[in-house]
Parts: sequence; C-alpha cells; structure tokens
Amino acid sequence: MFNIIKKVIKYPRLTQSYPHKPFDLRQAVGSPQLDSEICNRCGECIARCPSEAISLNETTKEIGINYKQCIFCLLCVEICPIGAAKTSEHFELATKKLSETSYEVIGSELKTKIKKLFGRSLQIREADAGSCNGCDYEINALNNPFLDIERFGINFVASPRHADMLLVTGTATRNMQQALIKTYNATPDPKLVVAVGACACSGGIFRDSYATNNGIDSIVPVDVYIPGCPPRPQAILHGILKALDRVK
Amino acid sequence: MIFTDLHQKLTASFGKDIKNIKIQNSKEMIIEVTSDTLPGICSYIYLELGYPLVLMFANDEQSLQSGYAVYYVFADRAKGLLLVIKTPVDPERMEIPSLSQDIPAAATYEREIKDLFGIIPVGHPNPKRLVFHGNWPEGEYPLRKQFPLKRKPPLAKKEMSFQKIIGEGVYEIPVGPVHAGIIEPGHFRFSVAGEPIINLEAQLFYVHKGIEKLAEGQSIEKCFYISERISGDETFSNSLAYCQAIEKIAQVQIPARAAFTRVIFAELERLISHLGDLGGICLDTAYLFATFQFRMLRGWAYMIADELCGMRFLRSVNKIGGVRKDFIAGKEKKLITDLQKIRTELEDTVHIIKANNLFIDRVENTGILEPKIAAELNAVGPAGRASGLGFDVRKSFPYAAYDKLAFKIPEHFNGDINCRMNTKIEECFESIDLIFQAVEAMPQGSILEPVNSVEPYRSAFGLTESPRGENIHWVMTGENNTIFRYKIRTPSFCNWPALCQAVKGNIVPDFPLINKSFNLSYAGNDL
Repeated sequence: MFNIIKKVIKYPRLTQSYPHKPFDLRQAVGSPQLDSEICNRCGECIARCPSEAISLNETTKEIGINYKQCIFCLLCVEICPIGAAKTSEHFELATKKLSETSYEVIGSELKTKIKKLFGRSLQIREADAGSCNGCDYEINALNNPFLDIERFGINFVASPRHADMLLVTGTATRNMQQALIKTYNATPDPKLVVAVGACACSGGIFRDSYATNNGIDSIVPVDVYIPGCPPRPQAILHGILKALDRVK
Repeated sequence: MIFTDLHQKLTASFGKDIKNIKIQNSKEMIIEVTSDTLPGICSYIYLELGYPLVLMFANDEQSLQSGYAVYYVFADRAKGLLLVIKTPVDPERMEIPSLSQDIPAAATYEREIKDLFGIIPVGHPNPKRLVFHGNWPEGEYPLRKQFPLKRKPPLAKKEMSFQKIIGEGVYEIPVGPVHAGIIEPGHFRFSVAGEPIINLEAQLFYVHKGIEKLAEGQSIEKCFYISERISGDETFSNSLAYCQAIEKIAQVQIPARAAFTRVIFAELERLISHLGDLGGICLDTAYLFATFQFRMLRGWAYMIADELCGMRFLRSVNKIGGVRKDFIAGKEKKLITDLQKIRTELEDTVHIIKANNLFIDRVENTGILEPKIAAELNAVGPAGRASGLGFDVRKSFPYAAYDKLAFKIPEHFNGDINCRMNTKIEECFESIDLIFQAVEAMPQGSILEPVNSVEPYRSAFGLTESPRGENIHWVMTGENNTIFRYKIRTPSFCNWPALCQAVKGNIVPDFPLINKSFNLSYAGNDL
C-alpha cells in the first residue's frame, strides 16, 4: 500500500494539455504534402503510391493527395526526384462529409443540434469493421493517462444501445458488413458516425479486394472522416471534438 | 552439408518415392513427393524425427505448368532448418489426404486451404468452413489464379453451425462479433454447465481482407506496405519477415548497422506490446492502479518510438535491403536514459503486483494450457514458452544481429496466466537489455543495400519472432519484380486453437482474462 501511495505522489498528473495547447510534434511526422509550384508532374509518385492516393487532373494539371486514401507511408517524400513532396506538421486532418464546400453549412447545423442534444457529454461505441488493429490501439490510447478522454465528458460504452457516437475503424469487410449494419441500427437516434483511419475513410491499401468495401460510407452514413494510418490519438481526439464542434 | 544426415535418413526410408530434392537459401530443403507417399513421409518427420508442422499452404502453379501444389513445412528448431514437403494435387479430383489425425496442428491449415483453393482434405475430422462465413457462396475459391481480385460473389444466406454439446443443464452463450471493449471482432460460442466452460468454439475471420490475394501481382515495393498492415501492433515484425524473404531471394546481405537498427526496433515493438498486455491483464482483474502504471510505461515506450522515427507503430522504418533512414544516430543517449527510466519503473511495478495476494490468486492456475496440447497445436511465442516450449526464432533461426547479442529465453512450465505474465515481464527486461547491447555494439556505416530487382519464380521463407511468437512468411516472386504468391502465417493463427483449449474447465468470467493473457491478433489471424 505504501508503495502505491508513493507512486501516486510521484506521478500526480501525466495528462497532456492537448488540445488546449498545440501538440508538440517534435520528431513526429505529419501528413505528406505536394508543392505544386515545384512539382514537374513526372508521375513517379502517382505510379508508385501503394494506396493510389495521389492523382493528377489531366486537363488542369492539378496534382494532389487524397488524404482519405493516403496511408502516410511517406514513400512519395522519399522518392520525389526534385523534393516537391515534403512532410508537414499537420496531423489534425479530420473533415466533415466528403465535400468541403458544404462544410460550413453542415457545421453550423450540427453545432446547434449537438449542443442541444448531447450537452457536454458524449457516449462512444467503438466498432472494428476490419482494421489491422492499429486504429483500435490508438483509440485505446485515448483512455491512457496521457490523453484521458474522460476529462471532456466523453466515455466509451459497452453497447451501441448506450451510444451517441459510433467510432468505426476498418474497411467494412464482407464478414463484418452485417454486424456493422446491426450496430448502426442498434444505436439510438440522433447518432454520429466517425470513420477512423484510411481503411474506414476509403478502403486505404485494402481497396478493391473480394472481401472488402471501399470505406464504411458504402455501408453506413458517415459524419466525420479522420484520415491517417493509423491517425495518432491526438488526431482522433481532434476528430471527435470536431464532430461535436468543440474545436475549430 | 548440414542436410546430409537428414538426406540419408529420408532416402533410406522413402528413396523410391521421392521425386526431387532441392536445397535453397542454404537452410531450406524442398522434397517433392506424390500424394500417396505424403501421409507416410509427414508422419515419419513429425513422429520419428520430432519436427513440428509450422506451416502448410497451397499454391496455384498452373501458369508454371505444374498445377496446384500443397506445401508442408516442418522445422528443426535445434539446427535452424526448414524441411518442406511439396506434393502435387490431381486437378481432376482436387483432393489431398488429411493429416489431422496424426498431426493435430494440420487441422486449421487444411480447412483454410479448402476454403481458399477448393482442395478437399479427405478424412478431415471437422471440415467446417474456416475463412468464409454463411455469406460466401459454394464453389468460389479466391486464391485460384483465375479468380479476379475485385470480384465480389453474391451474398449467400446460410447459417453457420457450431459444435453442439448436449446434456442436462448445458446451455450456449454466444458472444460477439462486436465486443464490449475496444477490441477486434470475433464470435465466441461457449457451451457451459453452470459456470465452468465445457467447450469454446471461436468463429473468427470477421476481418478477413484477402491480403494474400491483394499481394499477388503487386510490385515488391507495394507489397512491403501491405505487409506492414497485416497486424497493426506487429507492423515491424511482419515487415521484417517480408523484407528478409525478399533479401534472401535477391541474395543481398544487409549492412551491419541496419541489422542492429532492426534489432532495436523489433525489441521496442516487443516492449510496447508486452507492456500493453500486462496492463490488460491487470485491467481484467480490476487492478486499476497497476493498469495505469503499465499504461504510463507503454506511453513512455511509444514516446521513444516517436522520438526515433516519428511513427508510433514503427511504420515505414524498414525497407527491403536495410532501413529507411539512420534513425538511431545522435539519439543513443536519450534512448538509453528513457529506457532506464522505464526499467526502474517496471521493476517497482512488478514488485508491487507480485506482492498482491488477491491478484496472484486470480492469475495462478487459471487458464492452464497443458504442455502436451501446446506442443500438439504448435503453440508459439510467450504462450508456448509459458507451457514449457522453450523455443524462440531469435535463437533457432537467428536473423538481423541476434546472433551477436546475448539474451535469455524465459521458460515456465505451469502454462497458466501467471506463467504467461511472468514470461512477458522477463521478456520486457530482456528486450531493454538487448536494445542497450545493440546501441553499444552498433558499428558505423551504411544502412541500406538497395534491392532493385529480383529473379522471377524464386521463393524464400522469412522468419521473425514477433511479440506474439514465431512469424513465418513465404514469398514467391513473379515476373517484373512482382509477387506471385505471398503466404503469411502469424503466431496468432497457431495460438487461437490453443486458447480454445486453455479456457476449458474455467469459469466464464475468467475468459476475458485468459484471452488477454494470450492477447492474440484477430487481424493477423484473419488476414
């Protein structure tokens, strides 16, 4: 007992101040970015990208990375012959709905709705629909003493019947399809669905196989997409708070 | 030649039936036999020579003018040799004789081959579907080459059947696939009478993504990124096994500095994984103080990973032919102080939990995996080592720089949760020590020996000891630096049947605890 008290005194508080203060990225890497000014459209990264996330518009010659498909392997940064692909410090990549244009409209609608409905408390049910378990470990990490998600009034619950939000990882595999629909139907309305990770957003590297779907939005409607492979816990936290409109 | 002895024994007993013997990559011996001789030679190797069956897979080699073939891989863990028995499958009958009666470990592999290739194991005691559920129609076999990757057969509606235990007061508890905790999906069907579990059948493969099919025809570079995503928390071990297989095919020797770097990352991954498991065991016994201690330690270990490579899951660290960057240079001092902090804190925490009688009472003699069953099912990793199977790939098939470093393999004999926990605790300390040694012994120099092309239709095995145990990948290259066939067998595939045996006779509330002490990967099993 004495030893336990000693430890409690030694480590009184480990919780990081994120998101009140920005997360110190230090060595950690964020998303890759293409500088279209420097890029000479040689096509090397488009051909070699393992998840086919980089695309070039043939008419306008615009080049860009689809972060919902990107697996953040940084191969493009490594192979770009002229250094147009760089790593950035961005990791808070969560977006609402697929088209960013309607974001403001949806955002303001959601804001009033959620404030009214959920107040400052939120119950989350996590559902793995075919991930590699990376995203699940990162969601688990939200419960660790460093991030301690309960300080926001957010809880993980054991049943979808108790949940306000579904946090879904994985590509929605053929064998999980039915279970995902059942989980969605069991969650009482109004509900939010958040797709966590490249697989849930678009199928990621597992796109177009006989056993997978290209993202969970082909099975259930999605409110917020959190790209990453896996997204770091802070990015997931940012996405959840974004769904609630509690961060910008 | 290291194989001479084995060669003589086999030719003496089966000389006239052996069609061809080939030795490749210096430690792999491939023997081709007809399907009539197969049961005899496999039983001889398993029972007389005492080599366990570590992997079994089929391959569609019709484009190579040799039809379908089934490979049976046996391991001599004392000498570090792999003995592969290859047998052709008659295309008219598509049958192989089932070996499950003699070799229990073959049972799940045979069911897997039946689902993916449509090769029937004749005489199998339980030929139930393994990979596919009721939604998959009959007669579709995705790993045959003529099956297109993107084809999605129509959904069938068939109920899955489970083993029935009949008797007075016996009832079933279905659990899953969506569980109460934040874990992966799987369905468990318990047959219980009162509290004790009589039988457990695990229906897995909910996260089957068709990884083996996805890899076929892809470039060796893209397939590397697929291998990293087989099982999230074993990213490094899986990509390492893949890289080693390709490096063997390309006959490339990786630079010494890369080999030591790989040891550091592999051990860091083991440390992170084991600290998580220990926290999980404490959580499931409602011992929250210890849970948060281990979560704190795990958080620190993740910070080291962030510090070294910026990737918490050690993704994009490996590269075929070495490592992507010199991640260690200039960070040695910080790495050692951080690890020392973890070691001291871990020592204190272990001291506290071992002094807690209530906790030890719960884990001792719970979920016993009998050594005999463990050996028959080829249980691997910490689960096997807790049941007296004291082998470790790092010693049996040394890779990276493990042959230059000193470390001990913990071994326990009771096979209960306590033994598995102690094995993991001891391995944590060994891992920290291994990183210290590797940092010390690391030479300067290059970190990459580029591999630009590989010869077509060559094959090799890549073996690593992942945090969960023996991890075997088999790669066969195709034309233009592509993959012809990629067979993955993670430790979870071997340990799931062992877990189902270990829970028998225990009470239902102990199942989550036993499950956590194994901590198997669903993704790594289901592929």
